[in-house]
Amino acid sequence: MSTPNPWAPPPSATAAEQPRPDAGDPPPDAPAAPGEPGADERIEWRRLHKVTPLLNAWKAAAVILGLAVWNYGEDLAQLDLAWAMKILLVVGAIVLGAIIGLVYGAIAWRRTRYGIGEESVFLHSGVLWRQQRHVRLDRLQAVDVTQPLLARLFGFSSLKIESAGGAGSNLTLSYLTDTEAQRVRNEILARAAGVRRTGQAPGVAPAPAQEAPERPLLELGAGRLVGSLVRSGFMIVTILLVAGLVLAIALTRTFQLAGALPGVLAAVGYAWSRFAGEFSFRLGLSADGIRLRHGLLEAKARTVPPGRVQALSFSQPPLWRRKGWWRVRMNVAGYGGEGEETTTVLYPVATTEEVALILPLVLPDLGTDRPLEVLQAALTGTGTDEGFIISPRRARVFDPLTWRRNGVRITDTAVLIRTGLWWRTLAVVPHERTQSLAMTQGPLERRRGLAGVDLHSTSGPVTATIVHLDVETARTLLLEQAERARRARRHAGPERWMSRREGGEPDAAALRAGYAGVLPAVPAREEMP
Amino acid sequence: MESAAFDVPGVTWNRVSDRLIGVRRLTVAVFLGIPALATVLPAVIVGSAMWLLPAVLVLLVAWAWWLIPRQVRAIGYAELEDDLLIRKGVLFRSLTVVPYGRMQYVDVQAGPLMRRAGMAQVQLHTASASTDASIPGLLEAEASRLRDRLTEAGEARLAGL
Repeated sequence: MSTPNPWAPPPSATAAEQPRPDAGDPPPDAPAAPGEPGADERIEWRRLHKVTPLLNAWKAAAVILGLAVWNYGEDLAQLDLAWAMKILLVVGAIVLGAIIGLVYGAIAWRRTRYGIGEESVFLHSGVLWRQQRHVRLDRLQAVDVTQPLLARLFGFSSLKIESAGGAGSNLTLSYLTDTEAQRVRNEILARAAGVRRTGQAPGVAPAPAQEAPERPLLELGAGRLVGSLVRSGFMIVTILLVAGLVLAIALTRTFQLAGALPGVLAAVGYAWSRFAGEFSFRLGLSADGIRLRHGLLEAKARTVPPGRVQALSFSQPPLWRRKGWWRVRMNVAGYGGEGEETTTVLYPVATTEEVALILPLVLPDLGTDRPLEVLQAALTGTGTDEGFIISPRRARVFDPLTWRRNGVRITDTAVLIRTGLWWRTLAVVPHERTQSLAMTQGPLERRRGLAGVDLHSTSGPVTATIVHLDVETARTLLLEQAERARRARRHAGPERWMSRREGGEPDAAALRAGYAGVLPAVPAREEMP
Repeated sequence: MESAAFDVPGVTWNRVSDRLIGVRRLTVAVFLGIPALATVLPAVIVGSAMWLLPAVLVLLVAWAWWLIPRQVRAIGYAELEDDLLIRKGVLFRSLTVVPYGRMQYVDVQAGPLMRRAGMAQVQLHTASASTDASIPGLLEAEASRLRDRLTEAGEARLAGL
């Protein structure tokens, strides 16, 4: 065949076809053998804490016990043995599982080591299938410190570094002592931020990185959390379900409907996981970005550096309306697709005033002269007030109720998309964070001269879709938005968020001034140092 | 023309190869035509109502036969200075703008039929899973040119996430 083969490597640009480092897993043959990641860089290799196998062993024990009960539970019950013997057998299964888990864990622990370089974090692990994972610091999306219940009781934490390669693209160090985890996190964040420590003799252990000063902003009380759960949609369904069940049982005097119980249990489980996960939710701000702490049994402290929040959404189920509550969710590249609801929550239940405080954390400047009015119109408004573009009248066929509510407002810095009359939602996407844009039109929309616009963001709970705009408006918006996004990208902050400052300490005062932003903070909180 | 809204002023669209029509028609013929033939046999034996199935399948084939050329001719792409534009669809239309700087990687793919016809599909991936930026039915030379052009442009305008 005479045509050039498209699979042949082109003369110049093979490098760009390689999986990019931000995919989390660099090709295995990339940076040399363990211990020499950079040419002239010396990595200090460290081990996880010795207690790791012990903390992991109970999992193996639980698995073995589960398998044993599943397979032999009935046999055991029917066996003609004394109770003491049966209990002994169960205990034996647990001990066996624990020992197997412990031995495997000990080998795994010996094989696992990590190091922090100037450019990357390294983790080498694996017993039979070895793995070397190097995460580039400038591609870091978030750092989580998690304390599962058991580890928390004994003062151990697990540290997770998220990068943007979809689910599973993280580097997890478990377990470290609480202080060690703090130290490693500060170290990683300081290096990722681009804070260089100068005048350090090679070979000398570096001074521990300072934790970025943190300003607590909001704390969620248990009362409001419970109230929000009670008022949430699924809770109402559950209560109706239970009521119906009780009624049916009372009327028929049979337990025929007890089959619905698993559903009820699942709902209760969900409510519990929401309650436990979002208990004592605290939001703070540090030079390293947004700090989130939450959890009743399993405590988490998460740090999302500046510029890592790709999109925000504020949503309000119908029963939250009277309270003026909003659930704030975010798209962060590393968290996407992990499936856990709480991971992508920026604040579980915020009042409207708190919304005006949270939005500036992600978007210091809303890009308009009347930020509060625009925000209010975006949250609760309808119609074209404050410069919103809504569907034309002829879209009533598709959205008889919501056509005046569905709308978009483009400011100098972001796109605000509001939808839903009963289930209100506002999506906010900063211009520099859109990946690609698309305009779509189905056959029915075409007959009405309508079209929709999608702003593509990284995977997460926030979708930015504008429905049923006038087709000319949609096209203008699409092309102008492409231009706006391009300009915004050019002025976007660096991946290493401190590198714009010339050395020295992070300027917390300047940062606060920036974050206080156009939107006034809640006055009571302003007194914080 | 009605599709004016999905045109961009000052942009000349590149079309994909007409060979794609043949490949897609062949695919349809295999996946719908063969079942249609297969259902004729029981219809001949049993008769009456059993003719419904092959009739529906044949209608589908005829519809696809009519639709495919329109679909293929509706596919257009344009390389602007900073973005790649892709236009698609007859019934469900879309116009996608992908900034080169947002590109994470490029795929060039071809199945056996496409390869026989000397064609390949180029697909651009960004950090968003919802980006649908695939251009099917490019001649191999054009596919490899476009791939190189995209990787080059992507490198020059590289942006983070």
